[in-house]
Amino acid sequence: MNSLSDLVELSARLAMLSSISFGGFPTVLPDVRSFVVTTHGWMTDQEFTNFFALAQAIPGPNMILMMSFVGWKVWGMPGAIVSALATFGPACVLYFSVYRLWDRFRSAPWQRIARIGLAPVTIGLVIASGAVMARAADHDWRAATVTAAAAALMLLTRLNPIFVLVAGGVLGGLGVLR
Amino acid sequence: MAEQQKIADPVSLAALFAAFLQVSLFGFGGGLAWARYIVVEQRRWTSEEDFADIMSFCQFMPGPNMIGIAVCTGARLRGTAGTIAAMSGFLLVPGAIGFSLGMLYLRYTHIAVFRDILGGVSAAAAGLLIATGIRMLLPHRGRPIALFVAALTFGVMVFTNLPFLAVLFGMALVSLTVTQIEFSKAQ
Repeated sequence: MNSLSDLVELSARLAMLSSISFGGFPTVLPDVRSFVVTTHGWMTDQEFTNFFALAQAIPGPNMILMMSFVGWKVWGMPGAIVSALATFGPACVLYFSVYRLWDRFRSAPWQRIARIGLAPVTIGLVIASGAVMARAADHDWRAATVTAAAAALMLLTRLNPIFVLVAGGVLGGLGVLR
Repeated sequence: MAEQQKIADPVSLAALFAAFLQVSLFGFGGGLAWARYIVVEQRRWTSEEDFADIMSFCQFMPGPNMIGIAVCTGARLRGTAGTIAAMSGFLLVPGAIGFSLGMLYLRYTHIAVFRDILGGVSAAAAGLLIATGIRMLLPHRGRPIALFVAALTFGVMVFTNLPFLAVLFGMALVSLTVTQIEFSKAQ
């Protein structure tokens, strides 16, 4: 069993990294990895990678889940809870207080420019992350067809997306995409 | 337009909790597609532009982005209480379920049919995310420069190996400069 100071060290590190993770938590994953695998030897590289894949596969707050797996490995159940708190707590306080400030200057001219200027960049990034995800998920034309059909359904109908996800899961489960 | 911006009744805290519970629980691949679907299309709590504004803000802040979207949407609709409702919905139940599923999975390791199902779901989720981006782009279709910036950002991200942060802040600088010039010309 690791000592209590290990848990304190881990959560302090997660809170710090989360508060500087511009572009989302995945950008600081390499640092988390070197901290828990190389510096402290709390888990193997393979275990860390498995936690990542697992968190991606489970719906829910992915990165917070992944850090709870990491914390669980280091300090059991309390470790899981404390690590999750450290990952989202400070970041939420930051989001909330800065958003309040941002909202207060809604009608300022510079914010109109910021709003209109930043939107196309973030939208381009959204479509890109969809494409990157498709590249990882679509091993052949069958899976690519599922991706294209899902996009078309979402664009052209007001269908609840859950049906699209379930249809994808059923096709996968039946082995159609293998 | 005017119809879209009219805010009828204040959104109830329970509805915020439920909405972000759904976003989190169904949110394969990050949940953004769901957040936009529920907030903009299904409940009509914000306009397309307002949602894009919140999303941009969260992209440029540090931290896990999706929880940021819950925090800011909650704050925008119902202040501090709204933030707490949306955040709890996003975290509590899905966190507990996800953690239990993870522990189960780690115990029983690989079962082929699980992987096949997840593969199909990810393929569909990728399509949803692409469509979400295209939908968000629609209000900007009258502004060629916005379409160009979005296309360029997409291209750089997908076809080069530039680091994410470089693309994010580099493209932001380009786009803000162009918008600034456009605005000063218009005056």
